[in-house]
Amino acid sequence: MPTEVKTNMKRPIKYFLIALLVGVALYNAVYFQPLDDRNAAKKKSVFDPDAFAGAFIETKLKELPAIKADQFLESLKQDLGQFTAEKGRKLGISNDYYFIVEGNARVLGIEEENVRISLDVENAAELRLATEFIFGNTIREASGMANIGDFQNTMDFNNISVAVNERVRSDIIPPFLSEVKEGDDIYFKGAVKVNTKKPNLENLRIVPLILEIK
Amino acid sequence: MGRRFFSDVVKFITPIILAMILLGCVRKDGNAPKKIAVVISTLNNPWFVVLGESAAQKARDLGYETTIFDSQNNTAKEAEHFENLIAAGYSAVLFNPTDAEGSVSNVNRAKQAGIPTFCMDREVNSLEGPVTQIISDSFSGCVDLGQYFVRQMNKKGKYVELLGLVGDNNTWNRSKGFHSVVDHFPDLKMVAQQSADFDRNKAMEVLESVLQSNPDIDAVFCGNDAMAMGAYQALVSAGKADSVMVFGFDGTEDVMNAIKNKKIMATAMQSPKFMAQTAAELADKYLKGERNMDRKMPITVEVVTQDNISEFDAYGSEN
Repeated sequence: MPTEVKTNMKRPIKYFLIALLVGVALYNAVYFQPLDDRNAAKKKSVFDPDAFAGAFIETKLKELPAIKADQFLESLKQDLGQFTAEKGRKLGISNDYYFIVEGNARVLGIEEENVRISLDVENAAELRLATEFIFGNTIREASGMANIGDFQNTMDFNNISVAVNERVRSDIIPPFLSEVKEGDDIYFKGAVKVNTKKPNLENLRIVPLILEIK
Repeated sequence: MGRRFFSDVVKFITPIILAMILLGCVRKDGNAPKKIAVVISTLNNPWFVVLGESAAQKARDLGYETTIFDSQNNTAKEAEHFENLIAAGYSAVLFNPTDAEGSVSNVNRAKQAGIPTFCMDREVNSLEGPVTQIISDSFSGCVDLGQYFVRQMNKKGKYVELLGLVGDNNTWNRSKGFHSVVDHFPDLKMVAQQSADFDRNKAMEVLESVLQSNPDIDAVFCGNDAMAMGAYQALVSAGKADSVMVFGFDGTEDVMNAIKNKKIMATAMQSPKFMAQTAAELADKYLKGERNMDRKMPITVEVVTQDNISEFDAYGSEN
């Protein structure tokens, strides 16, 4: 058989083998998936601060350990440094310490940004419950609901504060403000920040988590 | 026979001699001080110069040889620095990354080579790569700055926001902190939001351009002090320096002076000296065997205004 005919016969086999190799390579390199499935999977792997904050507000508030507000104030007056170091939470290197406090109180006045209250104890101190300007990390840090070391991107960690503050603004404060009036007796639980460099104990501001009119 | 024997001997001895020469090159002197590399995103900004020099100085005080590498805000340049410092046998890296995502591979490469990395000021999106990340709590700083901004603006007016590098997490933590406050006041309108890459000249150019289409703004919020100074220059050129409030972030010397002179309203003080010194101390502890370190250590940022400026000094030392 002439060499040329032999070569012509081999050519289809050669092409078949190349096509087979390319086919096998592409089969493993390319795959198709419905866009909805893909988006759902992507969403699952993205941290959802709203869901995280929602779960906290809906399930954790009642059991959240709190210090009695009068004991808290008394302890701060007695030894601010020791009390904050032993009982407070703080984020990284800071002079800001955070606490969850609770108590019974009487409403003294309703102001633009706060409700002024007097604790239901002898020689009662005055405190302020924040109803406006609810921003920052006070709730997140006081409650210990999240640890920065668990978050690859600090923005996710900070978005928890944004989401939880939003829930307080939308779910906790409006129903309380619509009913509360001066002289009402209330129960409160909330988060508070104390700066050890500038304590300003007379003007502590509690970000509310639970507000009940008795 | 003689020539063949000679050739065999040469073939046998040559690799040994070469190996000995190479080993001699990398042989470590047990008494020589260990080396710490300080890799900084850019030395074209005085704040980062203070960060780099403070880190190097502290490391020298702790007994290390140091070299400062300038990445010029370029991840490729930064990767080159990491290749060099790995080859040169540095013991640790005090690292100010250029990009939260783009810098992760450099940190990982150093880790694979057994060189621990300590991030300063800016974070990378990795919990496993760096030993620890000492970062400013930019979000909280801008929440406080945002509240001050709202009160100074009486809850209404038009403003411009100048963002930093879009690949840096600090840019978005600052912006997010600011907007977590300001966006709740519907009479505060943001007329433009543009990146000026943390750069003074670029900020001036961007604001000059924005002012042409929005000449009636009341304030400019800037993601760092360099941009605040650039924005202020643009306002001076436009004859609006007295009517438009400028807010920065960092606590650099020129902005602190500008606040004293009532030219700039406020900044958020983050201390490059403190961050750098903390990073150097932690690197020293790590090299001496300490392993119990938090993955991230945020440092509080404080708002500096025309009212409390006397309590502060530039770059974070308090009066």
